Amino acid sequence: MCDYNVELILPDGNTHRLKVGADELILDVVYREGIDLPSMCLMGWCITCTGQLVGEGKVDQSASLRYFPEDAAAGFVLLCTAKPRSDLQIRTHQRIALRDRRIACGLPTPRGGTYRLE
Amino acid sequence: MAEKKHASGIVASGDLTKRVGVEQMRARGVDVEQLIELLIDAAGAEFTTYYYYTILRMYLAGNEDYKEICEDARLEDRSHFELITPRIYELGGSLPRDIRDFADRAGCPDAYLPDPPTAESILSVLLDAERCAVRTWNEVCDLTFGKDPRTYDMASRILQEEIEHEAWFIELLSMERDGDVRPSGHFRRGTPGASPYSKNTGFYNP
Repeated sequence: MCDYNVELILPDGNTHRLKVGADELILDVVYREGIDLPSMCLMGWCITCTGQLVGEGKVDQSASLRYFPEDAAAGFVLLCTAKPRSDLQIRTHQRIALRDRRIACGLPTPRGGTYRLE
Repeated sequence: MAEKKHASGIVASGDLTKRVGVEQMRARGVDVEQLIELLIDAAGAEFTTYYYYTILRMYLAGNEDYKEICEDARLEDRSHFELITPRIYELGGSLPRDIRDFADRAGCPDAYLPDPPTAESILSVLLDAERCAVRTWNEVCDLTFGKDPRTYDMASRILQEEIEHEAWFIELLSMERDGDVRPSGHFRRGTPGASPYSKNTGFYNP
């Protein structure tokens, strides 16, 4: 099975490079590698784990229970239920940005979440 | 006369616009506005779960043991909603005026009746819902531990019941789906939805 290169950019500027299989969830690999990222529902719903693509990239988000075309159009990724379909560069800790975009688009969204490192 | 070090502080005498109980949390590093938002999401999840479990239990006919346990979880989720809602207002927050907005922002997915509604598929939905609740209340505990004992105490009590609910549905689904025994360690509640950890006194929350 093909592995993709996934680079995470954290708010403090640190980066982590991961190899993620096409059948693996990105957040599973993140945690396996001992990287501390926020998450909560692990079902692609609460948006706590949101990241955002830097540049182009393809992600299979079909395992998410609530993911809108508007989320995808803006490059948002729900890491807990995301499988890579190309090499990716992702800025992490983007929950508030996704929340605000959904509100602006009139879409339903949880409003709260962990505020660690936000 | 000895100084009374707790007799004054950031909230001036007579100021009704601030609460010492909130300012003390801020001083300890709690982002109160974010916590309020998280609690509203969590309360929304408890409320929607209570609603959806009402439907799920209807389809457990013939599995009366499952039905009763689903009913316990349903009523206890309502107790969680009742327990945490006053705290939201205490902190200065409020529930959305429109119940549609409340449901839309729930922090956990809708526990829809599965198709087909078999005992196994319903138990799977119930288990997923409880697991989301366990993660949510653990998060609230993490954010408030050592800083906000009142919210922490409520979240901790809710979490204890959510953990029990998860154990119930693991036990039932394990036998129903896999034929495996995985005891929860629990027996039935004394009364339906007894909420042994989360229920307020009868006067306050009958």
